[in-house]
Amino acid sequence: MTTPRATQYRTARYSRLILLLATVLVAEACSTDITVNGDYPSALTKKLPHHVGLLLDDTFSHYTFESSEEQDVSMALGQSQVELFNQMFNDMFTNSSRLNSMSKASTSKVDLIVIPHIEEVQLAMPFETRLNVFEVWLKYNLQVFDSNGEPIADWLMTAYGKTQSRLLTSEKEALNQATTEALRDTGVRLVTGFHRVPEIRAWLASQQASAALTQGRGQ
Amino acid sequence: MRQNAVTQTISLVMMILSLAACSTSTIIDEYRETNLDLELNGTEQVVIMGRRHAGEYETEPDFIDCIGHRLANGGKVSVMPEQQFLDSFYPWFEPRVAPLKLKRMSMILNDPIISERINSLSIRYLIWVDGSTETTEKSGSVNCALALGGGGCFGFTTWDKSANYEATIWDLKQLDEEGRVKVRTEGSSYVLAVIAPIPFIAQVQADACGGIGDRLKSFFSHTLPGS
Repeated sequence: MTTPRATQYRTARYSRLILLLATVLVAEACSTDITVNGDYPSALTKKLPHHVGLLLDDTFSHYTFESSEEQDVSMALGQSQVELFNQMFNDMFTNSSRLNSMSKASTSKVDLIVIPHIEEVQLAMPFETRLNVFEVWLKYNLQVFDSNGEPIADWLMTAYGKTQSRLLTSEKEALNQATTEALRDTGVRLVTGFHRVPEIRAWLASQQASAALTQGRGQ
Repeated sequence: MRQNAVTQTISLVMMILSLAACSTSTIIDEYRETNLDLELNGTEQVVIMGRRHAGEYETEPDFIDCIGHRLANGGKVSVMPEQQFLDSFYPWFEPRVAPLKLKRMSMILNDPIISERINSLSIRYLIWVDGSTETTEKSGSVNCALALGGGGCFGFTTWDKSANYEATIWDLKQLDEEGRVKVRTEGSSYVLAVIAPIPFIAQVQADACGGIGDRLKSFFSHTLPGS
């Protein structure tokens, strides 16, 4: 036989458990935590005849975007952007190496050093825009140096991606889709825009001219 | 007696709704450069691509898949999937840089790397599809409630959808436009809820796909649309 005191105690215990469970569920429902995971195709482009060194530091390769405006969002996109940049620079240049530091550039005999930094990430989610799509904007700053470590260019580049509404199966999946699209757009900007940056174009032209001169002297 | 009358009224309303709902109207306009079938040998392929450069809408990928299946006609026309084409030619047909006009397309094809890939994959025609399906009007509401003794939904809601698409056929060998097909489909859907919701959904997008797909098929095999 249970005493009223034991029943009271059990009721209080169950209430606390339910409250804890509800708190956990509410906290989970209001936060989005994803690791961006996408596949990026090879770029169909003519390779530039140079050896590029890509310096992807820890802040870039382990980058996680975090926002706590209205809804908690944590989005780890470091690994995915490393995959994209490796893929694109491999396709854009005849030779591409990963550098650990600027000092390694001379031993790796690279012609060009590229250090990308992620400057800004912006999200637009359906609860903010009242549209049935998720949108992502990425802003990068690409610092470009010659083999001596002399700066050539600082290129600010933006990319955009959004979900196709058919894929809105879950918030996490939709956010992953929009970010992957934005990274795919980053690849478009790199392939079609890198050699058009005035300072980089001038450097490429000077390299071409000196290569032609060396070839002329050799003949 | 009263119960019988209610049942009869509900049955009558449902019959009227089922007759009125799920019906769509489709208008198709077509323009052809020539009345002859478009040339397509056994190895050549067709690609259907959706336009996604506008900010306010984008042509739905599943609509493009639907037209592709319709055009493939059981394997008579070889249709390359859109995503496969996008990946094979990355980044030249991504929304930011995809050619909007034939002049720009010819400039892209001047790049030997791209033209070689077009030739190696035997891609002869590129069909661009531009448009979307939108909900134009919505009214009414359905409310659901759940209690210990059970639950149910009550109410009535209706919405209209409109699908507007235009397909443009580019011949990549001749570098010219071979024709256009424009489709406009409209339809109304209803949900009547008396304890359980009963939907009457008009297949607006599916009908637009059928209309545009059959017309495109007739460009390659001189058959009547729908056959």
